Amino acid sequence: MDIRLSAEQEMFAAAAADIAAEVSGRWSLGRGPDTVSRPEPDAGSWRTIAEAGLLSLRLTESAGGSDATCLDACIVAEQLGRHCVPAPALGTLLLLEQLRLAGAGYELTEPIATGREIAAIALSRDLRGFATEPSQAVAFDCAGAKTAVVLGDQAAFYPVEPRPSADLSRAFGELDTSAGPCRTVALAAGQDCGAADRLLSFALSLIAADLLGVMQAALDGSVAHATARMQFGAPIGSFQAIAHLAAECLVSVEATRSAVWYAAWATDNLPPAQAVLAARAAKAFASVAGVEVTQTAVQIHGGMGMTWEARPHLWLRRAHASRRLFGDEDAQYDVIARAQLGQPGTEI
Amino acid sequence: MDYTDAPEVARFRSELRAWLGSHASLLRPAGSAADAVERTLAWHRALAAAGYVAVSLPAEYGARGLPDIFEAVVNAELARASAPPPPPIGHIAHAIADFASPELKARLLPGLLACTQVWCQGFSEPGAGSDLAGISTVATRSPDGQTLRVSGQKIWTSGAMWSHWCLLLARTEPDAPAHRSLSMIAVEMNSAGIDCREITMSTGSTEFAEVYFDDVAVPAANVIGEPGQGWQIAMGMLSYERGPADMGWVGRMSTVLAAAQEDVRTGRTPADDALRRRLAACWVGLQVLECQVQRSLARRAYQTPGAEGSLDKLLATRVEQNIYATLADLAGPAAVTGDGPVFRDYLYSRAQSIYGGTQQIQRTIVAQRLLGLPRAR
Repeated sequence: MDIRLSAEQEMFAAAAADIAAEVSGRWSLGRGPDTVSRPEPDAGSWRTIAEAGLLSLRLTESAGGSDATCLDACIVAEQLGRHCVPAPALGTLLLLEQLRLAGAGYELTEPIATGREIAAIALSRDLRGFATEPSQAVAFDCAGAKTAVVLGDQAAFYPVEPRPSADLSRAFGELDTSAGPCRTVALAAGQDCGAADRLLSFALSLIAADLLGVMQAALDGSVAHATARMQFGAPIGSFQAIAHLAAECLVSVEATRSAVWYAAWATDNLPPAQAVLAARAAKAFASVAGVEVTQTAVQIHGGMGMTWEARPHLWLRRAHASRRLFGDEDAQYDVIARAQLGQPGTEI
Repeated sequence: MDYTDAPEVARFRSELRAWLGSHASLLRPAGSAADAVERTLAWHRALAAAGYVAVSLPAEYGARGLPDIFEAVVNAELARASAPPPPPIGHIAHAIADFASPELKARLLPGLLACTQVWCQGFSEPGAGSDLAGISTVATRSPDGQTLRVSGQKIWTSGAMWSHWCLLLARTEPDAPAHRSLSMIAVEMNSAGIDCREITMSTGSTEFAEVYFDDVAVPAANVIGEPGQGWQIAMGMLSYERGPADMGWVGRMSTVLAAAQEDVRTGRTPADDALRRRLAACWVGLQVLECQVQRSLARRAYQTPGAEGSLDKLLATRVEQNIYATLADLAGPAAVTGDGPVFRDYLYSRAQSIYGGTQQIQRTIVAQRLLGLPRAR
């Protein structure tokens, strides 16, 4: 048993954090809804992300990737969340994993993995999973994307239009299905039967890691504020009412980290059904904790926490969006309850 | 990152499982409360004889000298077998082994490790709960320096009624600063001047006692470590026992939750959608707690346990109190119209945020020592 990041993984996390901070630094929260930058990366930022290999992580080396573990991908996702990175890196990681597990060929993954082409994933309208029906789909992380992809027997690309979303750092969007797909690519048949579970546990782990990063940023920001902000002649962080809120936030952050690490390890090392259960647990816990911690950050920042120019609303917005992706806590509880308690109302 | 057992851990685990399987007769539930105590002590002696007590103590004391993870395996496997927990003496054994004189070790450790001599811990007092450094029990040295005379009162002393020894924290150096004025002393419970009185808990259980010391004579040679070193020893002890015992706690709660799940699954207990979700949330909490506790245990292989233990305690509090509140609600009105175990278990779970350092003390530790927030002036 060895439950920590290796020295290489620590270095990788630091490198990913530097890139995330740099990309995030070029983006502006503005002074209000009319002046906030769109969550679309400039060409330089996107190239930086792609050239660092952050998008192609999970592809095989022969496909231009680095055969990375789910944990490696979660390390990146945590930093994307922590810096609320306004670029569709998370969506691209998910899309490439979806394509990889569906047996997509090099010609399909290469332009996306190298950043030349941005395509978004398509989710079902309730955001609980990948879309299977284009007319009932919503695109996620589609800022800068020309198309969103619905996977079936083939990969069908539809034109996509991003729309302003509650989450300022990522965009949801509408697929234009009126004229059918603008492009279709056949997929290699005969994917293995665990692929759907494998994809789901990867997605749940990744989004839970995004929430972990958002929570970490919200807690770090809260601690910094509570240390600097003076009231009654003392830093507010010296008051137990504030200190104890922050302490419970750290419990939530570290518990989420423990759950994400296990889910990520399980995704690569346990049978798919077991891994999905571990990932559902991590996602359910992170969904509750993510909203709690970011709400607490608003509270600790006081009046400042309700202004546009302070970051707490950015964290809270992103936490709420990620909470919904692939199912919020209630969605996870319902599935877990069916697995552990049987169908509701049935008696054996 | 690796969550699997190392080969030597896997071997130890399967040996222990086999031993538990062949000693199932020791696990039959007891009748009366007194019977329960005797059965528990017999269980501890059997575990000790098989070499499963304080396995992390060095081999020179007759133990196995294994890493802490093995202590966790003992706790987890006993929980899995629905056996009573191991005797909670690891922290006492380590304190004696690390700090006591060779003569004192030779006198105390064999009985402690064989579980033939039962120990209790005399730390808390009526006036010193969270503020442990504020204890007022005094141990005054006789003019010849050979004897200490102890006077004061201890409280929340688990098992005091049937203990042979008390590990006592008392003030011996009244002129030193508070944290250097305490000593750790081994006191025989049959000494003249000791009076034990049972405390009945809100659940009706009587495992705790108040212990009164009225001018009790104790040999000065029974001081563990240096006079004035008591606080340091006590703090080390409190962080030691957490991790391995947490693993057993997770296992026991899993068993309780699994039984409730089974009752719902088979239709014995009705549960609407809201309760089904709450049961699932309980399972999620327990799963996350297990991940957290495993990570803390794995950390012990390369880092001395410290303030991080407070995170585990705070998470365990959330999870345990949520589980027992949910189980009480699952029982519906029957939880209050009768006098069954469901409400007692719920009541007992409220202690989780009080014992072993209250939730508020733990939060202050986390805020100051892990988050670096400023101290109140």
